[in-house]
Amino acid sequence: MRLGLALFVTIPLLAQQAAQQTAPAPADASTASPTPSTEPWITGTLDFGFRFTSVGGDNDVYRSVVNLGQGPRLLGLDLTIVDPKKRLFDRLDVRANNWGGDPYNTLHLNASKRGIYDFNFDYRDIAYFSLLPSFADPLVGTGIVLDEDSYFARRRMSDFQLDLFPGHRIVPYLAYGRDSGEGTGITTFESGLNAYPVADTMFDKTDNYRGGVRLEFNRFHATLEQGGTTLRDDQQAYDSTVNYGNYTQPYFGQTLDLASLAQAYGMRGSSIYSKVLFTANPFSWMDVSGQFLYSRPETNVNYTQYDSGNLVLEQAILFYTAEQALGFATGKQPHTTGSLGFELRPLKRVRILQTWMRDRMHTSAAGLFTDMILQPVSAATTTLTPLTSLLAMNYNQEQTDVLLEVTHKLTLRGGYRYVWGDAETGNMLIAGPGQESSELRQQVGIAGINFRASQKLSFNGEFEGAASDHAYFLTSLYNYQKMRARARYQIASTLALQASFSLLNNQNPAAGSNYDFLSRQNSLSASWTPSKRVSILGEYTRSTLRSNIGYLDPAFLTPVTALYRDNAHNASALVDLVLPGYAKLTPRLAFGGSLFISSGSRPTTFYQPLVRLSLPLHKGVVWKSEYRYYGYDEAFYQYEGFRAHLLQTGLAISR
Amino acid sequence: MLSNRVAALILLCWPAGAQTTTPAAPAPAPAAAPVAAPAYVGSETCQPCHEDIYAAFQKSPHKLVDTQKRRGWATKACESCHGPGGKHAASGDKADIVNPSHLPPAEADRDCLKCHLNQPTHIGRIQSSHAKNEVSCTACHSIHRNGPNGLVPRKMAAVNELCASCHTAVWAEFQRPYKHRLPEGAMSCVDCHNPHGSIFPASAQSYAAIEPGCFRCHGNLRGPFTFEHAPVRLEGCGACHEPHGSANPRMLARAEVRFLCLECHANLPTAPGPIKNPTALGGVPPAFHDLLSPQFQNCTVCHMKVHGSYVNQELLR
Repeated sequence: MRLGLALFVTIPLLAQQAAQQTAPAPADASTASPTPSTEPWITGTLDFGFRFTSVGGDNDVYRSVVNLGQGPRLLGLDLTIVDPKKRLFDRLDVRANNWGGDPYNTLHLNASKRGIYDFNFDYRDIAYFSLLPSFADPLVGTGIVLDEDSYFARRRMSDFQLDLFPGHRIVPYLAYGRDSGEGTGITTFESGLNAYPVADTMFDKTDNYRGGVRLEFNRFHATLEQGGTTLRDDQQAYDSTVNYGNYTQPYFGQTLDLASLAQAYGMRGSSIYSKVLFTANPFSWMDVSGQFLYSRPETNVNYTQYDSGNLVLEQAILFYTAEQALGFATGKQPHTTGSLGFELRPLKRVRILQTWMRDRMHTSAAGLFTDMILQPVSAATTTLTPLTSLLAMNYNQEQTDVLLEVTHKLTLRGGYRYVWGDAETGNMLIAGPGQESSELRQQVGIAGINFRASQKLSFNGEFEGAASDHAYFLTSLYNYQKMRARARYQIASTLALQASFSLLNNQNPAAGSNYDFLSRQNSLSASWTPSKRVSILGEYTRSTLRSNIGYLDPAFLTPVTALYRDNAHNASALVDLVLPGYAKLTPRLAFGGSLFISSGSRPTTFYQPLVRLSLPLHKGVVWKSEYRYYGYDEAFYQYEGFRAHLLQTGLAISR
Repeated sequence: MLSNRVAALILLCWPAGAQTTTPAAPAPAPAAAPVAAPAYVGSETCQPCHEDIYAAFQKSPHKLVDTQKRRGWATKACESCHGPGGKHAASGDKADIVNPSHLPPAEADRDCLKCHLNQPTHIGRIQSSHAKNEVSCTACHSIHRNGPNGLVPRKMAAVNELCASCHTAVWAEFQRPYKHRLPEGAMSCVDCHNPHGSIFPASAQSYAAIEPGCFRCHGNLRGPFTFEHAPVRLEGCGACHEPHGSANPRMLARAEVRFLCLECHANLPTAPGPIKNPTALGGVPPAFHDLLSPQFQNCTVCHMKVHGSYVNQELLR
């Protein structure tokens, strides 16, 4: 963030320096550079304004969904500086959006000097707010809202990359990235029968360092990269007032409560990783590509917990007044992937694509957890629990595609994919309950068609049909058909239509489960420019999703089917009008927006209409105003609806 | 068996590749160019009629083709894609020049790949669904347009607009209430997908060489955890979340958390013995909660470390 701001401040200084350097000798600059001297060395747009907001309904849900606030904003900055003398850089581009309090700020900077370097910096700061009573408040039906499972956190991502000698045969590069998050929230502390909402704080940070070299030759390329990460993740949960939790009725005549809690995780981690990529075309009829990827992340965690109150161990119906727990564990996850692919062109109209892939991951962890329980009438009880676990996975894939160009207008594709693997999860040391393994075996047939009747009409379709013997999960793709089709038609120079259709039908006949999943999406879009002053863009999508899956009710082990339905209509449109001009200036009016209406398991409506007006005041100065409405309603949780009016007005100055 | 085949193919291919990199071997572009053909007229000849394209080209990254001898097309950059222009220059007839936008996509792409094939961006080209569906390079890249370091939109909103022009149904998912912040311009499609292809499903990006691209931003969920939640590793985040957008909070794939969990933790009988479960993972340990009680209707209230736990096998803390 600080670095981002520092760069942000540096840009105008660089611009100023460039101006001072170029001003005395404009003639030299024009002769030294192919950039035409008539062009300004700095161009761009600065867009700033003020946003007014008015929110009715549930403000917390508004913040969870939209979260745009009121106040002055730097809405956008898009700046390009071309140094005619090409000293520090040939060109510098800066883009910044939504600064000044918005929940997502972005900054991007690119500086390059042809053949010498290419530098990219990207920064994002995104705020996440989530407080939805219907999501995780077990007592909300009784009118008690405890804000459980809510949080307000920010995630900040910075990425720097410097490529040296771009365009040359050998291109070394260095990169650094940081991803960090911090925030507060309400989590739950689970103890025996009860779960207590408690405050928590979160902070995590990942630094990613990498460097490598790209070798780019006419007939082959190789990229060698070595990187590493360091991770830090600290979380604390605490409580200092009497808390009755979610279980409000007496348990064996006693009221359960949590009087105090101090819980902390301290996780430190690191990883190294390597990347080798290559492509080659040893013959004119053959392309080869492959990659080898390896990473080995590991973590170490220390955990402490102290809690007091009237608590219970449910299995033993043992009441206790305090508990102290300490834990530590370490985990490792070596992960290797290799892939190899060929494109063969044995005949002019035939292409054969063949790929193999192998992926191996082995996670193992070990540690110890010590739990000491203090009871009111007897000595403390201490238990030691070894923490060990294993998750191993082998995944393999082989695919062949044959593309046949029947005519210049028609290409057919057929192929076959075989996927196989196995996975094992459970306790690393002790075989028994909790340990599982499964296999994956899937055979997939592939077909496709690309038909280009003319420049104005094209059709594209693909189909996958699979039969499986095994899958990792009941909901995994098993016996499935996947279909996708898209057609485009340019009816006239002013009107274009596009239609698309996609379908996924997945069935798993496992006894008791009988998983039946069907998802379908139909979409139609049109772009129409009836005159030079009017353009209209419209899209409509109809999507349906059906899922039926059987399970045994946990309490009574009776067979039940879980149903999920989502039938949604989504439409969006934008009408752009060029209004009558004045003083050689052209005002514009745009209106439209989107609406989403769904029925089924969570009937929801979400409207986002908008109107935009751009009034040029002077050459390069535009007064921009935008009105936007957000309307959100849920049929089952009407108290979570909101309606928000946002009016944004400001100036866009461009050069 | 597989490794033998791979090794054999590498042995077959490598000497050929190595030979072609020796200085004596001709580079492919010059070799393909008919050296003796008088029909090449040079880029300067194109300027008078195509002034706007020529002017923009001076600031284009492709200008290198005109200036670097080693690429084999020095002073003939226009003809590196459009073919010999002598006949067209004489007649002015557009039928006398190759227009890549009118070629079949695979043929047009071959023009681009003459130079761009052997670059890291194309490492996933063979697996790319764009390539298999013959979405040509020029569908996204405007070759004549000027750009800072590419010929494709760089602003996030513009990238999203480009992708949405074909993937309309996907873009519609972003109009749902719970979604990643793409419509707001805080993210772009290429943050998560590599349009040139990758070895991962849906051309997903990767992080730290091999890990799912989701961890680039959600580093706190990366682990490795002492107790992993297997679907996160084996099926990815999409096992439970709709990353493009959902009507359900937290972009969950189901309206209520318990039904999402019960789809795998179905309490269904497994095969004899705890070790081999030919049906699916997630069958053990069984749970006996009374789902009629609101206390147990959102599993993540208690099993809050649902992405993986450092200290608790049941993902409780």
